[in-house]
Amino acid sequence: MKKGYIWKRLLRSFLSVFIIMIIVFIMLYSLVPRDNIFFEDATYKKLGGKPDDKREYVMRTWEKLGYLDYETLNDFCAAKYEQGSAEMEAAMENGSKEYYEFIDTFEKKGYTVEYLQLSKKPYAFKDVPLVQRLAKWVSHLLVIDTPWSVQDPNNPDLKRYIKLGTTPTGGLALIGSGTTHKYLIYTDTRFPFLHQNIITLNLGTSYPKFEGMQVLDVIFQSQGTEVKREVTFETGVTQESAINFGSLTYKPTLDRLDQAKFVDHYANYTTNKEQSSMIGTSFIMGIFALILAYGIGLPAGLAMAKNKDGIVDKIGMFYIIFIIAVPSLAYIYLFRYLGTRLFNLPSAFPIKGAGDVRSWILPIISLSLPSISSLMLWTRRYVVDQTNSDYVKFAKAKGLNQKEIFWNHIFKNAIIPIVHGIPSSLAGTITGAIITEAIYSVGGMGKMLPDSIKQYNNTMVVALTFMFATISVLSVLMGDIVLTWVDPRISLSEKEGRS
Amino acid sequence: MEEKKVILSAKDVEVRFRVRENYLTAIRGVSLDIYDGETFAIVGESGSGKSVFTKTFTGMIDSNGAITGGSIMFEGKDLTKLTTDKDWEGIRGAKISTIFQDPMTSLNPIRTIGSQISEVIEKHQGIPHEEAKAQAIELMEKVGIKDAANRFDEYPFQYSGGMRQRIVIAIALSCHPKILICDEPTTALDVTIQAQIIKLIKDLQKELKFTTIYITHDLGVVANVADRVGVMYAGQIIEYGTAEDVFYNPQHPYTWALLSSLPQLGVKGEDLYFITGTPPSLFNKIQGDAFAPRNPHALKIDFIKEPPMFKVSDTHYAKTWLLDPRAPKLDKPEAIQDLHGKIKRMTDKGGAFHVE
Repeated sequence: MKKGYIWKRLLRSFLSVFIIMIIVFIMLYSLVPRDNIFFEDATYKKLGGKPDDKREYVMRTWEKLGYLDYETLNDFCAAKYEQGSAEMEAAMENGSKEYYEFIDTFEKKGYTVEYLQLSKKPYAFKDVPLVQRLAKWVSHLLVIDTPWSVQDPNNPDLKRYIKLGTTPTGGLALIGSGTTHKYLIYTDTRFPFLHQNIITLNLGTSYPKFEGMQVLDVIFQSQGTEVKREVTFETGVTQESAINFGSLTYKPTLDRLDQAKFVDHYANYTTNKEQSSMIGTSFIMGIFALILAYGIGLPAGLAMAKNKDGIVDKIGMFYIIFIIAVPSLAYIYLFRYLGTRLFNLPSAFPIKGAGDVRSWILPIISLSLPSISSLMLWTRRYVVDQTNSDYVKFAKAKGLNQKEIFWNHIFKNAIIPIVHGIPSSLAGTITGAIITEAIYSVGGMGKMLPDSIKQYNNTMVVALTFMFATISVLSVLMGDIVLTWVDPRISLSEKEGRS
Repeated sequence: MEEKKVILSAKDVEVRFRVRENYLTAIRGVSLDIYDGETFAIVGESGSGKSVFTKTFTGMIDSNGAITGGSIMFEGKDLTKLTTDKDWEGIRGAKISTIFQDPMTSLNPIRTIGSQISEVIEKHQGIPHEEAKAQAIELMEKVGIKDAANRFDEYPFQYSGGMRQRIVIAIALSCHPKILICDEPTTALDVTIQAQIIKLIKDLQKELKFTTIYITHDLGVVANVADRVGVMYAGQIIEYGTAEDVFYNPQHPYTWALLSSLPQLGVKGEDLYFITGTPPSLFNKIQGDAFAPRNPHALKIDFIKEPPMFKVSDTHYAKTWLLDPRAPKLDKPEAIQDLHGKIKRMTDKGGAFHVE
C-alpha cells in the first residue's frame, strides 16, 4: 500500500465533500426562499402586529445567518454620537443631516436602501454572494484555540499562557488563559476519557430550533435532566452542580454567582445530563444492532450455505423474504408487540429511560432485523459461490476434509466482500435510524436531518450534510484499506494492478 | 502389457445424476483395468462422461450424483463403497491425485502458493510445518519453478498460467500418488506452454513412477503420451487398446469419425470433417448402439441391440457390431488411412510434441 495513494485519495475525498457542500449551499441558499426560515420561529410569530420590529428582526436574523449585510440608521449614528445624547436624538430624526448621509453612503456602496413601514426610518442591506458565504463557512470551519483567541477590550489584563495542571475533579489538564476554552486537553471519567478543545469544528449556529447553539453542541450534548453531584469549585465553594468542567469557556462579564464559584473569567459551561447525546444514543443503538447483526447474520448465512436447500436454508430464506417483503414499519410494530407482550419490555424508549437496559432491547432488535437478513443473504451467496469454485474442488481433490476446506478455502474468501462493508455500516450507525427511532421515540440522530429540513434549519442541514458526506467518504476509504488487509490481490496504488 | 500388474480395476461402473426430478445415467456400465505405471488416455467429446468416470476414482462426483452400480477395486478396497471424508483419507489426494483443467482457478487466490502446497504435505504425511515447507520448496523446484524459496510466499496472481499449472502438478504429486488423473491439463493453456506441461508430466512420471490417466479432447496429446487409449461415447468406453491399436487400427465407427475430425488431417481448401448430429440424451434409455443415429455405417442391429465388447487382439477391444463375423466388411474412411504416417509427421518434427 502506497502512502502517496492514501494522501491523494484523502485529498480527492475532501474535494468531493467540498463539491457536495457547494451544491448543498447553492440549493439551500438560493432555491429555498429566505422567508421560509421564519415559518417555525416563535419570536417572529409574536411580532405579528409590529411591522417595524418584525422587519428589524427579519433583517437581523438574515444578517446573523449570513444572507446579507444589514445597516441601520441607529448603528450609523451610534458610531458618531453617544447613545442617548441629544445629538444622537437629533440625528435619528427623519430628514436630519445623518439621515441623508446614511442613505447616500450606503447607496454609493451598492446597498439597497428601504424604509420601515411605520416610522419611515431608512435601513440598508446588501446580499452576500453565495461564493463569499461558502468561502467564509469553509475558512471558519476549523477553529484553533490559542492564548490570543480572546480579545476582550474590557479585560486588558487577561493573562496569556498555557500550562499543565489539574481539573477540579482531579483529572490532568492543559490549562489555557487567553484561550476560548479553559481546559485545552483534559482527562475525566467520561468516554473517551481524554478530551481536547484545541481544534474545534465550527459548523455554524442552529436556527430556529436550539437557537444560538453551535450545531455540533446540539448533536453532541447530553440530553434529559441534569445530573447533579457535590462539587468543590476553585474558590472553595462546595455545592450541588451538574457542571461539566471540561466545557468551561471565556465569559466576558461575570455576575455575582459566577464570582462565587470561579477565580477567573472562565465561567461559561455546559451541564452533565443523564441521557447520552443524540449522536451518542444513535451510536450506542447502532453499535449494538451491528454487533447483533454480524453475530447472528454471519453464522446464520454460513449455516444456510452449508445446508444449502436443507431445512436450515429454507427457514433462513423464509426470514429473508419476510423482511424484504414486509414493510419495515409493519414488522417493527409486530416485533414491538411480541416484545411487549411476551417479555414485558417497554414499548417506547422514554418509559424507562436511557438508564434502563430494557429500554434499549426492542429498538436494538428492531434495528438489527433488516441487517441480519441482508447479511444472511450475502454471506450465504458468497459462501455458495466459493463452494462452487474450482479451487475448492481442487482442495477436495487434494484430500482435505470438509472442515479444512471450509475454514482454509471458503470462509476467508467469502468474507472479503463482507469485511469491506464493515466500516460503512459502522459509520452508518451515527446517522441514526429514522423509522426505528420514531417508533420507539428514541432521541437520536434519525429525525435530525428530516426535522431540520422541515424547520428550514439550514445551518443544521449544511452541517449534517458535511458530517455525513465526510464520514461516508472516509468509511469507503477505510473499507478499501481494510480490504487490503484481508485480500492480498488488492493493493492501493495508482498503477493498474493485475488481478 | 500383460505382465503388468493391474492397479485399478473398474467393473460395470454406473453413475446416475438426479437433475430436476429426472435421472441421467452419465456412465453406463464401464469396465476398465488400469495397469501400474502406464499412461492411459481417455478421449471423447464433451459430455461423454470422461471426467465423471475418473471422478469416481476419488469420490469427487457432485452431490446430486451417485455410483449406482459396479465396483472399482484399488489396493484391495472397493472405492465405490467409500462415502465419508474419513473413508477417503489416505486415498484422495494421497494415492490418487487429480489435476484440473484450469490452473487460473485451481488455486485459492488469497492464499500463498507455498501454504497451498505444504497444507497437503502436512495433511497426508503428518509432518511439522517447517519440514513440509522444505519439501514444498523442493517440489516447486522439481516442477521447474526457479528461485522457489523466494516465491514460496507469493500469491497465485503473481504467477503465470503455465507456472500455476506447474504448482497444481506439484500439489498433486506432493504425496507421491500411485495414480495421477490429469483432467484436460493443457486445455486452458497457451499452445507453447502445453508442450512444456506435457513434457513435465512425462518426465515426472518417469522419475516418480506413477500411473497417469489423461482425460483430453486433444488427440495430438494422446498420440504423443499415451500407452493405451480408451474412447468414450455416451457414458461408455466403446473402444480401447494400445495407442497404436486405436490410432492405426481403429474399429469403432465413432473412433473413425473422431480421428477423421482431427483438424490437422484437414486438406487445405476443403471443409474440415465433423460428426453430424448430437450425442444422445442420457436421460432416456438408450436402445442399441448409442452412436448408431449419427453413424453413416450403422447396421440395422445397431438400432436394436447393444453390441458386446469384441476382442480385436489381446490388447485391443471394441464395442461395435462391425466386428461380428456376420457383419459386412467396411473400409475405414479415407482421412484416417495411413494415420501412422500422418501422425508421425505431426509429432516428430524434432520435438517431443507439436500441435500444428
